[in-house]
Amino acid sequence: MGYVIRLALILMFVGGVSAGGLALLNARTAPIITEYKRLEQEQARLDVMPEAEFGVFVLKDTSSSLPYYEAYADSDLAQLLGYVFGASGNGYSSTVETVVGVDISWNIIGIKVISQQETPGLGTKAVEIRYGEKDSWFQRQFAGKSARSVMVDKEGGEIVSITGATITSRAISDAIRINANLLRERVTKKNLTGTVS
Amino acid sequence: MSSGAELIKGIWNENPVFRIALGFCPVLAVSTSIKNGIGMGIAATFVLLCSNIMISMIRKGVPSKIRIPVYIVVIAAFVTIADMVMHAYQPQLHRNLGIFVPLIVVNCIILGRAEAFASKHGVWHSIMDAIGMGIGFTCALIAIGTIRELLGDGKLLGFPLLGNSYEPVILLILAPGGFITMGLMLGGLNLIDARRKRKAGK
Repeated sequence: MGYVIRLALILMFVGGVSAGGLALLNARTAPIITEYKRLEQEQARLDVMPEAEFGVFVLKDTSSSLPYYEAYADSDLAQLLGYVFGASGNGYSSTVETVVGVDISWNIIGIKVISQQETPGLGTKAVEIRYGEKDSWFQRQFAGKSARSVMVDKEGGEIVSITGATITSRAISDAIRINANLLRERVTKKNLTGTVS
Repeated sequence: MSSGAELIKGIWNENPVFRIALGFCPVLAVSTSIKNGIGMGIAATFVLLCSNIMISMIRKGVPSKIRIPVYIVVIAAFVTIADMVMHAYQPQLHRNLGIFVPLIVVNCIILGRAEAFASKHGVWHSIMDAIGMGIGFTCALIAIGTIRELLGDGKLLGFPLLGNSYEPVILLILAPGGFITMGLMLGGLNLIDARRKRKAGK
């Protein structure tokens, strides 16, 4: 009996030391990681809405399930450039998260996949940058398409899907289409009530 | 054995993938390209080194009955440390290697070396063993990755080598292709070894 207790105590000690060490390290690294993620998201917003480089992004509808940003050209909020929103869809082996920038007539300015864990070599081609190029060939083709009707070629749309990763391609374009339509409805409704009152 | 021999043995004679046949899960998962292979190799070598050092240091204080749970706690702690430190201070590296880090936990090479080597040898030899095994693991990943990336994607290190007219064999990028490539390489290496032994016997 005493032997068993001794074993348990040793195991507890090892676990405690490891957990304590990790907690200390986490306290140091967690704020840096949060800050990095914030910067990364800021960068993603600018990537999909380059015209707002000297402007501002105003976060709207934080309480809803789909918050979005209004992008303005200047800090005086006079000229609305468009909207930036997130779109996440179920891919083959992970949730694919995309940031989308659209102009005021809901045409896509740019998209950026910010998080995915798809099959290496297949689904990950969604973020692949070909040799000698600067941006992802898959994401580039979304620019200029209408966010409200964007679809992969297998469903009659204009997006050339990734060979061997139709599910990933579809997850991205479907999420963008669904969220764009949802948001547009909400934004239009808001504008209507605005004119009445 | 000398420390040099401990280092060398992991690369060929006791190659963790092709000889000891450990760590197949991460090998199959990330050997789709050379770049992935190198990333996984470096991440696994780092954790292997840390866990080998730690375990060879505490080996005399750990009762043999609970050694496996203790090793697992030590390995899991180092994996988490590697993940957090990399995420905070080397975000660019974490973006590239991040997906491999959780996979290291299921890498049986690390537990295998802790149990088979570090728990019976001193710190210095354990360091050598970890580095050798890490290099051997990385080499195996690169070897399989080269074949799968070249034939399955027509590229080497992302550079389109075989040109646009080459139709990639997608099977090789998928899991079955990983099994086939690894099986053929295992067989090939065994053949070389068998021939060598027969020659030596004569």
